[in-house]
Amino acid sequence: MVDFALTHAWLVPLLPALAFVIIVFLTRPWPKLSGAVSIAAMFSSFVLASSVAYGVFTNPGFIERPLIYSLRWFGMEGFTVDVGVMLDPTSAMMLFMVSMVATLIQIYSTGYMHGDPQYSVFFSYLSLFAASMLGLVISSNLLQMFILWELVGLCSFLLIGFYTFKISAREAAKKAFITTRIGDFGMLLGLLFLQIIFGTLDLAGLAERVPHYEQYGISLGLLTLIAILVFIGPIGKSGQFPLHVWLPDAMEGPTPVSALIHAATMVVAGVYLVGRTLFLFSEVPGAAEVIAFIGAFTAIFAATIAITQREIKRILAYSTVSQLGYMMLALGVGSLSAGMFHLWTHAFFKALMFLGAGSVLHALHDKADVWEMGGLIKKMPITGWTFVIGGLAIAGIPPFAGFWSKDEILVVTLEYARQGHALGYLLFFLASFTALLTAFYMWRMIFLTFFGKEKPENHPHESPLSMTFPLLVLAALAAVGGLIGTPWANVWGKWIHFGHPHHGEPNYGLMFFSVALAVAGIGLAYRLYYQDEEKKLAKQLAERYQPLYKLSYHKYYIDELYQWFTRQVVDASAAVFYWFDIHVVDNIVNGLAGATKLSGQGLRYFHTGRIQTYALVFFLALLVITVVLAFGSPTLAGSMGGVHS
Amino acid sequence: MSDWVGVALFLVVGLVFGAGGLLTSFLIHPRSKNKYKLETYECGLPTEGPSWIRFKTQYFTYALMFVIFDVEVIYLYPWAVSFENLGFAGLVKMFIFIFILVLGLWYAWKEGALEWK
Amino acid sequence: MHFDFSLLTTELSMFILGLATFVLGLVVPSRSRRGIGAFALFGLLAVLGLTVLNWDQQGVLLNGMYLVDRYAMFFKILCLSTAILVIFGSLRYVNEHLGNHFEYYSTIVFATLGMMVIASAGDFISLYLGIELMTISFIILVAFRSQDGKSLEAGIKYLLQAGLSSAVILYGFSLIYAATGTIVILEVAHATLQGQASPLLIAGMVMLVAGLGFKVSAVPFHMWSPDVYEGAPTPVTAFLAVGSKAVSFAALLRLFVAGLAGVHQQWDILVAVLAALSMIIGNLVAIPQTNIKRLLAYSSIAQAGYLLVGLVTASPAGIKAVMFYSFLYVFATVGAFTVVAVVYNKIKSDEIADYAGLVQRAPLAAAVMLICLLSMAGIPPLAGFVGKFYLFSTVVSGYLWLVYLGLIMSMISVYYYLRVVLVMFRDDPKDPAPIEMGSAANITLIITMVATIFLGIYPNPLSEVANSAAISFFLK
Repeated sequence: MVDFALTHAWLVPLLPALAFVIIVFLTRPWPKLSGAVSIAAMFSSFVLASSVAYGVFTNPGFIERPLIYSLRWFGMEGFTVDVGVMLDPTSAMMLFMVSMVATLIQIYSTGYMHGDPQYSVFFSYLSLFAASMLGLVISSNLLQMFILWELVGLCSFLLIGFYTFKISAREAAKKAFITTRIGDFGMLLGLLFLQIIFGTLDLAGLAERVPHYEQYGISLGLLTLIAILVFIGPIGKSGQFPLHVWLPDAMEGPTPVSALIHAATMVVAGVYLVGRTLFLFSEVPGAAEVIAFIGAFTAIFAATIAITQREIKRILAYSTVSQLGYMMLALGVGSLSAGMFHLWTHAFFKALMFLGAGSVLHALHDKADVWEMGGLIKKMPITGWTFVIGGLAIAGIPPFAGFWSKDEILVVTLEYARQGHALGYLLFFLASFTALLTAFYMWRMIFLTFFGKEKPENHPHESPLSMTFPLLVLAALAAVGGLIGTPWANVWGKWIHFGHPHHGEPNYGLMFFSVALAVAGIGLAYRLYYQDEEKKLAKQLAERYQPLYKLSYHKYYIDELYQWFTRQVVDASAAVFYWFDIHVVDNIVNGLAGATKLSGQGLRYFHTGRIQTYALVFFLALLVITVVLAFGSPTLAGSMGGVHS
Repeated sequence: MSDWVGVALFLVVGLVFGAGGLLTSFLIHPRSKNKYKLETYECGLPTEGPSWIRFKTQYFTYALMFVIFDVEVIYLYPWAVSFENLGFAGLVKMFIFIFILVLGLWYAWKEGALEWK
Repeated sequence: MHFDFSLLTTELSMFILGLATFVLGLVVPSRSRRGIGAFALFGLLAVLGLTVLNWDQQGVLLNGMYLVDRYAMFFKILCLSTAILVIFGSLRYVNEHLGNHFEYYSTIVFATLGMMVIASAGDFISLYLGIELMTISFIILVAFRSQDGKSLEAGIKYLLQAGLSSAVILYGFSLIYAATGTIVILEVAHATLQGQASPLLIAGMVMLVAGLGFKVSAVPFHMWSPDVYEGAPTPVTAFLAVGSKAVSFAALLRLFVAGLAGVHQQWDILVAVLAALSMIIGNLVAIPQTNIKRLLAYSSIAQAGYLLVGLVTASPAGIKAVMFYSFLYVFATVGAFTVVAVVYNKIKSDEIADYAGLVQRAPLAAAVMLICLLSMAGIPPLAGFVGKFYLFSTVVSGYLWLVYLGLIMSMISVYYYLRVVLVMFRDDPKDPAPIEMGSAANITLIITMVATIFLGIYPNPLSEVANSAAISFFLK
């Protein structure tokens, strides 16, 4: 089974793709059947992915030498593209995580989307997404990865705008697509550079060639530029500042989508891509610093927005942005291990919290404002307590998953600072402060939603088993999923690392420090939003620091800034171009088209239908060619090019 | 370039050859005009009726069948001459050849080409 | 002299199939002749299977008169596939418009046999034999709708013009024989590689360009094709546009890239100019057409232009590109013409205006038409894009102007292809009744569509096959 799985890893993405085709062409009229097909495919895919992961993790050889098999996709002299599968611990981990979360979320969706008229379509999109994402994860070639990267973007677009009757959903879908496209364009440029310079986009090939970039005749400056261009893609996809604006709006999609795509899997594709191409970034310290700073800045920036938001999914969205920044920070300081570890734990607790939020919304009929909730834990114990576990995990309370990964990031950042990198301590400070804020805003949300007084106008009820089962599984993982990466027995670090494995001694001081931060954040939230039943103090604080509060509440007016830019600059220049287009370009094009048409008409009359004419033309042509070849060929050849002459 | 003179010569001779005959006959033929000269030539017999009449297309199918079996003889003759040398294999091949021709005849028969309606 | 009949397995079985179809037609009463189409179809499938199994067969018969190699096998497979698709897609059309004539099927089999002989021909005699067998069969097929004046007109036009081109080809052969003293293509190659280019040889070469240019309908030898394409029964048009054209390219490649390799610099510009003219005239004149079959005829002239581009450099890459493009062209063209046939079955019209709202009446047909036209226009990710990419990448160094011209002309072609698409998808149908197509036509359409998409997305297997075939071409 394991050997079969290892050699047939391509089946993992293929099964959901097959489900997509089956649903679209066959089972669409029967929603229940479509859902069953989708889940069956996804679950088989998960089983296979687990075998792959087992095979990879029990064989230490894969750590240094990934299993690669590929297929010539497109080949001609001087340019070939292979598509294939690359299995190493990193991709095996992702394969396992993505297929598991996708399976759980599809199960959850059977309850959440129950009775939706577009039920089959929803499952077909989910299957297509899972297929693309799993394909992306095992890609052995950057071009292949880019195509699937675009495909997950397309699925994201389709799913954000799933409720097509909602204007806001349509707008959000467009915003997400366009914003990420901006990033993808930069990335495409970077990939083109890589292909031109190094002659391949195979990850393995690039990893061999990039360190010897001088032999390919390029300078460090150009390589830095290329690396930054490639990084623009992840900035868009993983919602890093300044292209983060689409991610909170993407919460217009159905909640399972938010959990699957915009928390656990697709948005981490950017992080994953940076991780995969770390051989490039580790060559260029400049680019790595850019990543670290953008990551750290995004982390704190999004956290400061999250503390004042009111909608439950919006808070989670900003928290996602912030945590993605954390992962980028880890990769920027050069630790694949820490970045991927946080990606792993984050997937569980964030998917858990999104699904919990979905359960709450389901119960309260889409009432989203946390201030209008309260005391829900009594009526919804499973949702509530699993959510609390998620809260403990993200805040960084041991032994929950988030603690270990966050601690790891703090450790590597501190090491980075100690190695004498300028501003390294600033990164460490930003990361620590973000940890404090995270604990605070998360628990603010939890206290407001699940604790305190019940609101009489709400009639909550616990969700069906199909929805609570995934919550329980994810809660279990959020609780214990981090134990494979504890400083005492760091199995994780042995499996997934770039360069030399990390052999840090457990840093008890730092651990204590990070727990203290978490406790302080939770304590502050407890004081403001639980003890103080009227929330007087919270309101006073908001009054007192009103400019700051407003700045945060309006997300630093970034959206407004972009709007202003679009209206004033883009629209104005567009007007100029429009005039030019109408009066100059169109005339030229129309003229050309007219001329083409006219020449077509003219040539047509040449075609009389009389066979005598045809024969005449035939022989005339024969004669002309012979005469030209007899008298004029050398000069003609000279003017037309050709290899001789 | 001078090589092409040959081709040009070829062309000229071809033209002369074709045009020359016409021209010579035009120059030397006796010019006597009479009614019989303008009549349609039909195997030496006097023609009857106008020549622009419709006639049955079945003439053509008949003619085609005739030509096919007429031409067949051309192939049969050399084979018959060296029958000894070609031996059994030659016999078989000739049977295949005739079989195909017979198929054609069969087809024409079946399509009613041999019936005069 | 030892004569290895096993090398002729496919041709002999094809011959027997043709005769069997014919005899069966004579024996069976006319009521039950419908089954003959199916018989011919299964027979062709069997021969196709045999050909695929014989892929690795190599050999030369009669001192180079007949060559069996992968290159020939490739084109044989191509012709057989075309014949199968054409017959399968048009079973209903044939029953309704051509009557249940068994001659139709046996003639198609013999035309295909002619194509197979062309693909394997190693000297002028066998080549000429193949060309004539194919051409005469096609004359019969073109004029098959004997009640229809247009079909008869097309038949007579094709007969006269084909006779003309055959004469020119023969004249060309004789001139080359006069110049080199041999009729075997490979010996011609030796002669041209050693000696200077004599004027006789060049004159013969021009004759061959003209004669085969007629077969592939390259400008300025293309004048017959729109009239014939329009008048011929639609399945025959498809077969003519694909099979005849593809094997004529096979012959062109053998004659020029192998036989006349020594005088490459005498013909590369000539072929490039013909390619350019075909692209220009074909694409421009297609624009004002109102009849879908005429439009496809002009588009097919333009396609011939693209294919000629692959000849210009006389390189393995060019041969491979021509082979690849020919194969994907099978699917796009057969798909488009099958749609034309099934639509004609219902609405009795080939006017583009009558295709209004086709998407509502026959969604599959409209989708296939869309895919096929876009593939011909070379829009990625469809097969046509990859094919054009291969073709034009061979001339990037040396004939860049040809690449630019090809790009511009492809853009122009998008205009008239999309005009058809617009009519099908935007306009409202005059009569909204759905068009029933029959399952055989449906399956054919799906095959062509899937193949066109698949070859566009994953071109490598076919590309590798074409590559190995192109290499066999040079291993002599």
